Amino acid sequence: MIDEKLKTYRINRAEYQKICDLLGRPPEGVEWALFSALWSEHCSYKSSKVHLKKLFSTSSRVLQSFGENAGVIDLGEGEKIAFKMESHNHPSFIEPYQGAATGVGGILRDIFTMGARPISLANFLCFGNPSAKRMSRLVEGVVAGISGYGNCVGVPTITGQTEFHSSYDTNILVNALAVGYFGKKDPVVTSVASGEGNLVVYVGAKTGRDGVHGASMASESFDESSASKRPTVQIGDPFFEKLLIESCLEVIRADLVVAIQDMGAAGLTSSSFEMAAKGNVGFEIHLDKVPLRDPTMGPEEILLSESQERMLLVCEPSKLKAIEEVFSRWGLDATAIGRVFSERRVRLFWKGEVISDLDPHLLTENAPQYERPFEVWTSPKKVERLGDLPALNETDGLLENTKKTLESVQGCSRRWIYRQYDQRVGALTARDCSSSVGVQRLPESGRALGLVLGCRPYVMRLDARLGGMDSVYEPALQLAAKGFEPLAVTDCLNYGNPEKPSLMSEFVASVQGMSQACESLKAPIISGNVSFYNETEGKNITSTPSTGMVGLRERIALPKEHLQNAGDEVFLIRLPMVSTWGQQGELMERLEFCGELDPDRLSLFVKDLWTWTKDLGVEVSTRVVGKFGLLYALARFCSEEVGIRTQNGPWAQAPQDWFKENFYEVLFSAPLGSFSAENIKSRFSVKDVQVWKIGEAVSGQIELEGRTFSLTDLSLMYETGWRTHFEKLS
Amino acid sequence: MIGVLRFLGTNCDRDLYQAVEAVGLKPQWIWYQDTFDPKAYEALLIPGGFSYGDYLRSGALAAKAPAMKSLTEAARAGVPVVGVCNGFQILCEVGLLPGVLLKNQNGKFIDEWVDLEVVAASPYTGKKKVRYPIAHGDGRYFVTEEDLKKIQDKDQVWLRYFDNPNGSTFDIAGVKQDGVYGLMPHPERALSEWMGGADGAGFFEGFLK
Repeated sequence: MIDEKLKTYRINRAEYQKICDLLGRPPEGVEWALFSALWSEHCSYKSSKVHLKKLFSTSSRVLQSFGENAGVIDLGEGEKIAFKMESHNHPSFIEPYQGAATGVGGILRDIFTMGARPISLANFLCFGNPSAKRMSRLVEGVVAGISGYGNCVGVPTITGQTEFHSSYDTNILVNALAVGYFGKKDPVVTSVASGEGNLVVYVGAKTGRDGVHGASMASESFDESSASKRPTVQIGDPFFEKLLIESCLEVIRADLVVAIQDMGAAGLTSSSFEMAAKGNVGFEIHLDKVPLRDPTMGPEEILLSESQERMLLVCEPSKLKAIEEVFSRWGLDATAIGRVFSERRVRLFWKGEVISDLDPHLLTENAPQYERPFEVWTSPKKVERLGDLPALNETDGLLENTKKTLESVQGCSRRWIYRQYDQRVGALTARDCSSSVGVQRLPESGRALGLVLGCRPYVMRLDARLGGMDSVYEPALQLAAKGFEPLAVTDCLNYGNPEKPSLMSEFVASVQGMSQACESLKAPIISGNVSFYNETEGKNITSTPSTGMVGLRERIALPKEHLQNAGDEVFLIRLPMVSTWGQQGELMERLEFCGELDPDRLSLFVKDLWTWTKDLGVEVSTRVVGKFGLLYALARFCSEEVGIRTQNGPWAQAPQDWFKENFYEVLFSAPLGSFSAENIKSRFSVKDVQVWKIGEAVSGQIELEGRTFSLTDLSLMYETGWRTHFEKLS
Repeated sequence: MIGVLRFLGTNCDRDLYQAVEAVGLKPQWIWYQDTFDPKAYEALLIPGGFSYGDYLRSGALAAKAPAMKSLTEAARAGVPVVGVCNGFQILCEVGLLPGVLLKNQNGKFIDEWVDLEVVAASPYTGKKKVRYPIAHGDGRYFVTEEDLKKIQDKDQVWLRYFDNPNGSTFDIAGVKQDGVYGLMPHPERALSEWMGGADGAGFFEGFLK
């Protein structure tokens, strides 16, 4: 009997004992459902909390961080932004369109519930091999879901990252990020309830049976029965969300609201218990007053429903009428379903009878915290000196192999994806998904806000600690190369089963690496989420701590993405710390690296870089060298018309070096005579920075050691590569 | 005063409002439930962006709104009317413009910059060739061969794609009828170089004429 209940509610023996101790009796009735939801990994962070507490998360700019729906940072000049990233992996694998769509809807609610108007979206996607079972359909469904929701709700998708690897064959990753904007007059609101006698008001869509038990579903591994969990995936309605954005911002900005929170994972349960717990107050909730799509629903289903596009707010009784008017003008209902009282209790009523009466802290503060076993990280793939890649050590094969990299699923254009996203609605977009950094113009000050995603799964497979640091430094460098000061980070920590010590070790090593990198850059992690149990039948994903980083720049005119005119000089700026065959090496089964990242010097390098490029504009172009090394980066640096003439040199002494990845290096081009290697080097105070002029821009082709390749061929490879991997997608 | 219509779900409304302000004109919101005096505005604009979530058919529900009744009267009385993207779809739905807009040929939403040719007299652009972004799922303009001939004879096709992105009949990106203009591309997203192009500024200067 008890065993069956424990299984249904996904509560283990020890947790059951803890519940009994806290209550002084066994749980009864809906209490089972409440503990199941709020003590789930998804809601309670029970495996990660001890480590998350150590994250670097403060700076003078941080106004809100963990604990609220989204982090908020101060941009100065009266402007602020809220931003956060969240995973929707499990639902997206089961039902890709709705899973991805509701991921977008959920992250948007986290933003506007703070009072910020959502201004941009980004997504970090990891798929399996294109040939894996269902993969084409998953790619198509996820992209259509993001596009269908984001475009309709009217928030542009301005950047993204898409990775492919067999470790995601049976567990894809869908991480959505949203940024919201506050102007000078816009207040920041929180979910901290207060005020005895105030009303608890339900707004938005009616409650249905969708998503019941979603939070606990997202907290376990997949098996063959996963397809049967389809009913636990929520259904989204972006039109409704658009109305909710406008109406919520209107009531918040008219100062009609005391506190507000969206009903996300575990729906009404988490929103009501968390709001009461944070405010140290009591909530009396009449579940029979909750607007329902299906009148036969019972109290437990109402509590756990994850129906989308719903919010819970607290207001003074005198303001209810004004709130109702606003929502009604937007075609929505606002219904008072309870009230606030002073003692810290959540009292749930069903048809006049109390069905639960608990101190909310039992559920929100007393959830178990696990110190899952892990081992100290030892970097098993670190070597003293990199071996050779003989297959690529012939000058004749260099350009041929570059064509292969441009055509590969790792290296080809993602245009098929982002062409489906509205990247410009809102009329703030200055750089779209085709650029290395998404850029928007801040409405009131006219300054530029940069947004870039981080985490390279192949670096994570190389080394969890290096990969964690790289998840922060690589996007920081992307921002710095365009003259943005990196300000703050959100993360989405996607991992396998934390009960396996080898995976917990990767988690700890990578999160420590991220935190150390953030601290060195003084760019705190201000929001995020953890997704564990990305495991199917014992197979775990690559540990993938994706990040989103924002940066600020005074001038909206910024360095371009591609070479501009024949005759321009091309420079390479390198701070050598780590060398690896990287993405190319992985394809050739040469997973090794040497060296290590030094946070002190690296953070100085990043700072020197943006301090210099912040004053440069469209006359220069920059590109961070990344996957597949220098030659791939040069091929991508070329425009449709302008290529480069270059040769071996100190930057690439042997042919194979053109595919080596050096952490970190940046390409820079400028009109003839405007810069010199010495002049650029003088901008960097950190020692060991190397700067070379590696070539000059020429018309129509790439010329390397006397061999030439037409840009038309290269861009054809890059653009048509996608189709060779996904023939079935229109 | 330039009236800018807002329906439930409209999402390019604020962009268009700001574009009107940017050329020094005074915009004013018109809420979909309100009717208005046909002579109250110098011009009327219907923004793009998913009114009513494109339910039923893009533009179909907005076409039934009270404000559209007044807009139709105003158009008949000679007040200039412009519909961008979803606004174009709505104008076709109410019959103020010929043709219909169907799902893009590839079945997908398309966002990209396109080159356009202005092929008939129009106050809404300074140049013969312009570059604006498109962002639509239902942008394939369709008319029967017979109707195409009719609108060509009357010079009603005013904007065409150089490189047809969506399968539109005769590469049509915009049509007009009397003082009513519709176009799928978004000039309000091309107001200055930082946006990626500034050709759209000339579009809004058309309201000054």
